[in-house]
Amino acid sequence: MILHPRWHRHSLHCVLPPYLLRSIAQNGSSAQRAAALRTSAVDNTFRSLRFVSNPLGQRSPGRVIAGMMAESQCYRSIYDVEGQETFPGKLVRSEGQGATGDAAVDEAYDGLGATYDLLWEVYGRNSIDDSGLRLNAHVHYGRNYDNAFWDGQRMVFGDGDGELFNRFTIAIDVIGHELSHGMTEDEGPLVYFRQAGALNESMSDVFGSLVKQRALNQTADKADWLIGAGLLASSIQGQALRSMKSPGTAYDDPVLGKDPQPGHMRDFVRTWEDNGGVHINSGIPNRAFFLVATQLGGYAWEKAGHIWYEALRDTRLRPDCGFARFARITLMAASRLYGEGGAEDTAVRDAWNQVGVPVTREKVAVAFTPPQGVQASKPSTRRPQA
Amino acid sequence: MRIELKREGGLAFIPGLNRPHVFKLGDLPPAQADAIARSVQAASFFERPARVGTASKGAADQTRYVLTIEDEGRRNTVQLLEPVEDPSLRALLDLLKQVERTAVRAAPQSR
Ligand SMILES: [Zn+2]
Ligand SMILES: [Zn+2]
Repeated sequence: MILHPRWHRHSLHCVLPPYLLRSIAQNGSSAQRAAALRTSAVDNTFRSLRFVSNPLGQRSPGRVIAGMMAESQCYRSIYDVEGQETFPGKLVRSEGQGATGDAAVDEAYDGLGATYDLLWEVYGRNSIDDSGLRLNAHVHYGRNYDNAFWDGQRMVFGDGDGELFNRFTIAIDVIGHELSHGMTEDEGPLVYFRQAGALNESMSDVFGSLVKQRALNQTADKADWLIGAGLLASSIQGQALRSMKSPGTAYDDPVLGKDPQPGHMRDFVRTWEDNGGVHINSGIPNRAFFLVATQLGGYAWEKAGHIWYEALRDTRLRPDCGFARFARITLMAASRLYGEGGAEDTAVRDAWNQVGVPVTREKVAVAFTPPQGVQASKPSTRRPQA
Repeated sequence: MRIELKREGGLAFIPGLNRPHVFKLGDLPPAQADAIARSVQAASFFERPARVGTASKGAADQTRYVLTIEDEGRRNTVQLLEPVEDPSLRALLDLLKQVERTAVRAAPQSR
């Protein structure tokens, strides 16, 4: 276990590319697992791969494994609030129990599972806090309740009123969205206000959408990039709450009004409402992520998702981070993971440029971490010419 | 009694749901108006502080309601963060949300 400068425990992912972690966890030979598990004696929490890091928290491959645990620890509890607004409600499904036949309960259970699996299997993250936090969802909250939220420790889902909204568990990306707020709080945090808040919201849309795309086994070009598809009642003119691909086009309806999201900085909305427009201006970083993922092709959770995840974990991500700084951090992450001047790095820079957030090489100091545990090339030993 | 209710926040910012709704009790069906008047009393609305409920660290997508009521020279504005734990305030908010729901559907957005 390590203590970061921010006094935050970090797992193996800090120093090794996640697909390597995944490979050890899932495909390691029994000898490798045994060796790794032996070393875990020093960390009898047995929770996840822990690494010793240098005091500066710099990430480089080849550090010492302090402990390892190769099994996932998904533990879900679904509570039925039965139309009340008080917690916890009645426990109706725990980890390992079969379907109940109540759609909201079973969708919540499956959605939590799909989110846990994305984090663990792709990013090597053991639940939203990377320490195996149990996942609790509370469904059937309130009467005709038109919302889903994260209260800081649990997910809460209303049934919708049936006239404007259907039940909020219907969209798996909304479940991933709420859980991802817990991850952002643990890694960031990003204050829930103005640009940092819009980044917080966008992070939840990004990982929520990745949960859905992976559950459907969709490549970036096949995904709909909608948030909350199926959530709007049939009488509403619209397809979802938001579109990451074309912000501002998700709905246009006599009752709900028109989707207010911008997809470019020139349309950035300055407002005091919605915590300074956190659910409005998130359209801009959302579209940047969509552009990176489609430019790179394949599964969005692989390269684009890794770049965003790496950025979320970057210690330079400050709580008041704005779009420009975040864009630079994603560019640094792309260079660190996949090499400077590569397709990934170019895709990230192009995407931010397309949404009006120019990001230059200036101030982008990159320590390249080659993938697959290859030793980083040492800095040149040549002395400066006199 | 004049009541203004405005919803803020939630999983999405939806213009049609974030407009303030103003109504007078006299314009509502008598049974509904009576229920609201009693509920305002029961909740001691005019003695309530400006904010009820605090967001936990890291909370997101919660809805808050800004509720202003004027009656016989008295006026108070209270921000209610959901979930509202106080039963009498929650009962009042439930009644007002029903009025809001009707109003939202009756007054489509101008486009
Ligand atoms: Zn770290
Ligand atoms: Zn959110």
